[in-house]
Amino acid sequence: MNQAMLWGVGTSSYGRFPDQRVESLAWTAVAEAVQDAGIRPDEIDAIIVGSVFGPPGVATRIQRGLGIPSVPMWTVENACASGTAAYHEAVEAVRHGRFKCVLVLGVDQMSTLFSGAIVPEATDPEGAASLPLPGLYALQAQRYVGEFGVTPEQLAAIAVKNKTNGMDNPRAQLRDTVPTVQEVLDSRMIAEPLTFLQCCPTSDGAGAAIVGGDRGDRSDLRIEASAMVSGALWDQRSEDVWGFASVARAAEKAFDQAGRTPQEIDVLEVHDAFTIGEIITLEALGIAPRGKGAELAPSGHTTRDGAQPVNPSGGLLSRGHPLGATGMAQLAEIAWQLRGQAGPRQVARHRVGLVETMGGGAAGMDGNACVVTILSTQS
Amino acid sequence: MSELGVGRPTKRRAGSAVGGLPVADSRPVLDGDAVLGSRCTVCRYPTAQQHLPWCPVCYGATEPARFARTGKTWSSTVVAIPVGTRRPPFGLAYVDLDDGPRVLAHLDEPAVLALGTRLEITGTDDGDLVATTEVQ
Repeated sequence: MNQAMLWGVGTSSYGRFPDQRVESLAWTAVAEAVQDAGIRPDEIDAIIVGSVFGPPGVATRIQRGLGIPSVPMWTVENACASGTAAYHEAVEAVRHGRFKCVLVLGVDQMSTLFSGAIVPEATDPEGAASLPLPGLYALQAQRYVGEFGVTPEQLAAIAVKNKTNGMDNPRAQLRDTVPTVQEVLDSRMIAEPLTFLQCCPTSDGAGAAIVGGDRGDRSDLRIEASAMVSGALWDQRSEDVWGFASVARAAEKAFDQAGRTPQEIDVLEVHDAFTIGEIITLEALGIAPRGKGAELAPSGHTTRDGAQPVNPSGGLLSRGHPLGATGMAQLAEIAWQLRGQAGPRQVARHRVGLVETMGGGAAGMDGNACVVTILSTQS
Repeated sequence: MSELGVGRPTKRRAGSAVGGLPVADSRPVLDGDAVLGSRCTVCRYPTAQQHLPWCPVCYGATEPARFARTGKTWSSTVVAIPVGTRRPPFGLAYVDLDDGPRVLAHLDEPAVLALGTRLEITGTDDGDLVATTEVQ
């Protein structure tokens, strides 16, 4: 098995750009990643694209501007984990010697599809019954409120923490002001107990990465682990809230591959589409015991100057959520953090980083897919 | 910017409720005193889905089943935004049917209920299951 390395990353800005072409968003990210990796485009020998809302043939439409003809190329869709699912395939391909240098791309343009929340999928029982994604997360949250006594203030603290971080992220969609806990709670209700400022915006954007083998470059990041799992049944027999188990399964595989414990991770980017999501994810990753995840942000453990900073970029709550691009944006942030290139967002300890992306919404499953990857510097 | 797309093709949206083409209805069906679904003939796993190739738990054969309309609240919320043709506020709950699957139901009154609150599926609203707090 070959050692897979992260050679370079790049992203577009994140926001609502309905007057831009999908390709333009992607090309911005690809150009930055290629330059960051220090390669020529013709060194790329495969392209893997993660995207949820297309358009059909989005990969080819992007390839049109790249001048990388005839290489194997495909598009993967795994809900919010589409970008990191594409990355996972690249890592596996390099590990097995199938390719030497893979361009991974995540892209979505949501502003041309939805003016607010994603319209639920009409073919799905829950979608047909008008359960929006914030409603699904609200049901998780209410279960946590009832089971573990999570308070509204603890939920709001996630939004305050991540929006504070996002102020220092020039590519984030939302960076006007940092709300107080009270302002988060006073913002308009979306689905009880989740208020407007506890929900990520739908966004447009792209993220790219170059994954290859060990070329002896000390600035390349070692991919210690990459694990992807698909969903399993989530039903009345489960003791977990929706989504917990899929993250836990991916995390177990990733920590096993890396030979590390959750306590050894210096900095994390995790899926905080809604405040409750970060809490449940950190428990599923083993950063906090079950029922205790809500204490991490208020205690300062996960703030940027805390013991284990989570979402120093501002997370989805600040950056926004262009589904296919989100995982690649998370990966780019961890790469910048590990290399000490995060500027005002830089965390103190940055040797080992983790990215978790969870996508879901298909009724009766504990998620569509989840990817967890662990990277480290070579020093 | 608001002129974008005017007079040109727009992206597809799923579902007739939001301007797309109608799709097959996948919601659980209420039939008189029962919620319809299927149950495994081997491990007895219940599901609100029908036409499964086999039991997703043990791969045994499944058969059509009728489940009790009563159960307890796993969690509930009040949605405060419009969704499709639904106008807010509306209450939703995951209901663990007695000896049956977990189903999503609309509450007859929008409210957040204590976990475990007994509910009864009392009807449907345009195909959505509607649940009412069970009278003790």
